[in-house]
Amino acid sequence: MVSDSPSGVPSDTTNTTLSKPVRAKEHWGSRIGVILAVAGSAVGLGNFLRFPGQAAQNGGGAFLLPYFISLLVLGIPLCWAEWTMGRYAGLRGFHSAPGVFSVVCRTPKARYLSVFALLIPLVIYMYYVVIEAWCLGYAFHYLTGGLMKGNDTEAYSSFFSNFVGDSKDGWVFGGGRQLLAFIGVTFLLNFILIYRGVSKGIETFCKFAIPMMALCAICVLVRVMTLPSDKVVEGLGFMWNPDFTKLKEPKTWLAASGQIFFSLSVGFGVIINYASYLKKKDDVVLSGLTACSMNEFFEVCLGGLITLPAAFIFLGATVGTFGTFGLGFNALPNVFAQMPMGQLFGFLWFFMLFLAAITSSLSMLQPVIAFFEEGFGLQRSGSVSLLGIITLLGSGFVVYFSNGLKAMDTLDFWVGTFLIFVLAMIQSVIYGWVFGIERGAEESKVGAHIRIPHAIQLLLKYVVPVYLGAIFVMFCKNDVLSSKDADGNHKPGYLEQIYNDDVAFMSLIFIGGMTCFLLAMIHVAGARWLREGKFETIEALKGENI
Amino acid sequence: MTIGGWIVMTVSIGSVVSLLLFCLYRVFTLPPIDKE
Repeated sequence: MVSDSPSGVPSDTTNTTLSKPVRAKEHWGSRIGVILAVAGSAVGLGNFLRFPGQAAQNGGGAFLLPYFISLLVLGIPLCWAEWTMGRYAGLRGFHSAPGVFSVVCRTPKARYLSVFALLIPLVIYMYYVVIEAWCLGYAFHYLTGGLMKGNDTEAYSSFFSNFVGDSKDGWVFGGGRQLLAFIGVTFLLNFILIYRGVSKGIETFCKFAIPMMALCAICVLVRVMTLPSDKVVEGLGFMWNPDFTKLKEPKTWLAASGQIFFSLSVGFGVIINYASYLKKKDDVVLSGLTACSMNEFFEVCLGGLITLPAAFIFLGATVGTFGTFGLGFNALPNVFAQMPMGQLFGFLWFFMLFLAAITSSLSMLQPVIAFFEEGFGLQRSGSVSLLGIITLLGSGFVVYFSNGLKAMDTLDFWVGTFLIFVLAMIQSVIYGWVFGIERGAEESKVGAHIRIPHAIQLLLKYVVPVYLGAIFVMFCKNDVLSSKDADGNHKPGYLEQIYNDDVAFMSLIFIGGMTCFLLAMIHVAGARWLREGKFETIEALKGENI
Repeated sequence: MTIGGWIVMTVSIGSVVSLLLFCLYRVFTLPPIDKE
């Protein structure tokens, strides 16, 4: 039994298994360390590439109104809920999602609900590490001058196509194998850092990476802002001029909520895991707010001022129609090629995207590592090796089926979008209705340096689940089901694609297989915890009063 | 760029930077955890 106090809160030095000695319990090394780690998890390619595109397509500056409302109503409250539940469970000896869900819901059966909190980071890692390798590859090609191709738009799309192999399945294992080298380096770096642990690996890296990212982004920002002033002002206008008529369209509100939701990493299963390594007196409220505000700084201040204004200056209004990858890997290289000292700034930009991606991918590995160690008593080397094999197989699938980036797109839709909604709804219901807002309020006050207003707790109980549910229904209607576009043409939904596309179908089978595999592992781990008496903590919690 | 654009940009960036500076100021001026 791990509990060594009447409330079921074990001391920091308690071992987590009975069968064999394990190393000392992991904790964050410093207050700013955990903040930077959570911010690093949240800041990714979406901040610099997705946010500006969403704003431009949904009313420019007017988009910021629903965006900030969603941040206040949905984003920050959900973050606080995850931080609170994570620390609560961590203090009771659980860091993995199955353990956290069992403790928070006070029943071992709740561990099965946590399957998505393992599946989401695991599967997202499998394709995210490939995009990370693209960023590293682009940074390398800027260093060697291979991406300075003048203002020929076609040259950049052709380079991208050859590099990622989006015109032929298996291309990366044949003519395009240089990408494999970048994937290898990226994999190795991720697994070396994760092997070093929470404090020495993730925290140490984030303490270096986040300031470095800010520095690189500010250098590029200064370069963009010192281009001819009339063009800069035009570029800023393209991004920020408000079109308030767009506020009448539900899709603007849906896009804003979605952007906040995905940007802050809520519903990923990551914050809960990171917060479980906090100590009893560590603050969750100020830390959570600081991590959110850091993410917003990278998104609104840096993403909003650099990406689209720079692209507009050189390429004109067509950049508003580019998707995330089109903007990042086709339009921007063209922009840097035309910019004075573009080779240096292109390198800084893609190196910054690589750092942003790696701080995010590390956060996807840790929840699964925690589960392997906690659920099966594996040592770090064993858990890292097992996770390495699983993720290599998954990434191999994504890299092989590269035609049209179909495998990546399907996994991103069903796991990186659809299931995140599902997990966030599960977590918000658990916080508001199972864990309870009274308990949540009391727990959040421990060690807090600012207070969460009571209205936020009411919001978490009554508004957030309904708000999330409404967004989810609209999202399903728009993207899961087939529909007609503005011109009346048939627009196939993701459900229809499963029937018509073999790779999309195989990707869904892959997701189903991974879910079954993780459910079986959760079952076995739970049986082990029952045998070892770890769930006695939960029995103690049932008698706990608020 | 319109006046509306300037206003939205200034207010958005000003709010985010102010919030971040407030949070960082609070975090860095707190006593070390073991002394609390």
